[in-house]
Amino acid sequence: MPHQGAPPRRLGRAQRGRATLTALDSGLPLRRHRSSRLLDLLVAVGEALERAVDPEVAAWTVLSALTAGEGLGFNRAFFLLAQDGELRGYLGVGPRSREEAFKVWAELSHRQVRPLALIGTPDATAIGVERQRHARTLVELSLPSPHSCPSWRRAFVAHANHPERCVRHWVEVLDSRALVVIPLLADDGPWGVVLADNFVTAAPVYLGTLEAAESLAHVLRAAVERTSLLRRLREEEQRRVATEHATTLLATARSLTHELVNPLSIAGGTARELAASPPADPSTLVRRLGVIAEAIGRIEEHVARLAEGLAGRANGTVTCEMDLGALAERVVERFRPLAVKRQVRLVCYRPAREVRVRGNPEIGERCVETLLANALTACQGHRGEVQAAVSEEGEWARLQIADNGPPLEPELARNPFSGEMSMRRSSSGLGLASLRALAEAMGGKVDYDQIDAPWVRFALLLRRWS
Amino acid sequence: MTKPCVLFIDDEEGLLELYRTAFARLDYDVATATGIDSARARLGQGGVDVIVLDIRLGEASGLQLLREVKAAHPKLPIVLCTAYARYQDDFSSWLADAYVVKSSDLTDLKLAVKRCLEASA
Repeated sequence: MPHQGAPPRRLGRAQRGRATLTALDSGLPLRRHRSSRLLDLLVAVGEALERAVDPEVAAWTVLSALTAGEGLGFNRAFFLLAQDGELRGYLGVGPRSREEAFKVWAELSHRQVRPLALIGTPDATAIGVERQRHARTLVELSLPSPHSCPSWRRAFVAHANHPERCVRHWVEVLDSRALVVIPLLADDGPWGVVLADNFVTAAPVYLGTLEAAESLAHVLRAAVERTSLLRRLREEEQRRVATEHATTLLATARSLTHELVNPLSIAGGTARELAASPPADPSTLVRRLGVIAEAIGRIEEHVARLAEGLAGRANGTVTCEMDLGALAERVVERFRPLAVKRQVRLVCYRPAREVRVRGNPEIGERCVETLLANALTACQGHRGEVQAAVSEEGEWARLQIADNGPPLEPELARNPFSGEMSMRRSSSGLGLASLRALAEAMGGKVDYDQIDAPWVRFALLLRRWS
Repeated sequence: MTKPCVLFIDDEEGLLELYRTAFARLDYDVATATGIDSARARLGQGGVDVIVLDIRLGEASGLQLLREVKAAHPKLPIVLCTAYARYQDDFSSWLADAYVVKSSDLTDLKLAVKRCLEASA
């Protein structure tokens, strides 16, 4: 990412004429930027900040606007943020020395790069590099007790003889002849400070530029507050999902242990008993051997399911934002020819608006395919109906597949997701067990009921995206 | 002298059959139940000296039955026998007199039953 800090554009004769005026209140030359250009700049920065989800990107965007030649044209700019009782250097943009400035500006000019055009496509890696480049200066600019700074209300230009110690500190660290200081205040003291200067070009700072810089600094504050909040929410969400996954894993571990240890105990224990006390009756021996064989068969089935589930997790179940309604419609359309062939009515109900959920589109499709395939198989030969419906339930979104085929066998209905029994629909219970594993891998769950006879309902529930 | 009666409560019929064989050979009177309701019914008949209880009984919880039995028969020893060792950390299981992790080797379970009977004698 190129450095900013390109020299400001030269102004036309008429503008130079206006520059000779002096603002009474600030002591600065009264040369205002053309309002349309400033408006364009604010609009461009505002649009870029709307997309920013990271405080560092937000800070870089505004500092870039301050330093870009087609922006406010400062040679360099720094942002200091009050954190943990300190006013810490957060980010800097621009060259570190005159030599570096000439080299970088020449390169920018040669490559015809317009730094302001880059704010729409921030590069987090490059921003990190920029932060590292200025790391030493940022540390030096930091103040251990920001409350010692007076509560300035407005931006100003400071010099080496400034009465306030903290300002003299910044001027000294930056070796600046005229340092723009833009304070950003919280209720109980400084929230942050933006510093900028023209240490290479020594270009004067005009009142209009100062006012524009102040506007940008306030936009920066709003963006940093918003993105910081967003980041905290994101981190909390990640912690919550991790906790839920841990809980799910614990429940899975308990369930698997139970499912594996029981048949292992039966097989091993019965074998030991046979060895310790062989039955005289051959039919008893055969029956007990049958018990062992049945237990081993269950173990094999559980191990296969475990392997499948683990493989699913090892695939890296990366979740993202997705539209559950669109997913449902997509899969339903894929099954429509099969439904027609089997003379089953297939309908899909979904809200007109998007139903955003956290999930994995590929895995989500596999889940819906499993449910639809089962439902269509169930209705085969009955001229039945299969309904796919998407709805929202608080923090969950439900994708339900209902069919009016024959009900589940009572044994299977007790826990259709256990994988211990075959479905009565020529499909396999193993498929439903996998469905549960896949749903859980996305942080979701599965549900089943047939309380509204003759409808048999299976549902995939995923967390709504927030 | 009457044989001590052990009531095994587990939803696995295969395990119950194993317990029947193994404990009958040790001269115990063995009773079995596959669920909470049948366990209550058997307990209602009386004569049970020790219970061996699984924690997961299908959709029901053995811990619920543990609390119920201990409330009604505080002196009746109960051995929790389950597949999952970490239930020991669950304070609900502390009411039990012994805790055994299920295994194909019934030595620990036999020992736990014997000790419970000796303690309650």
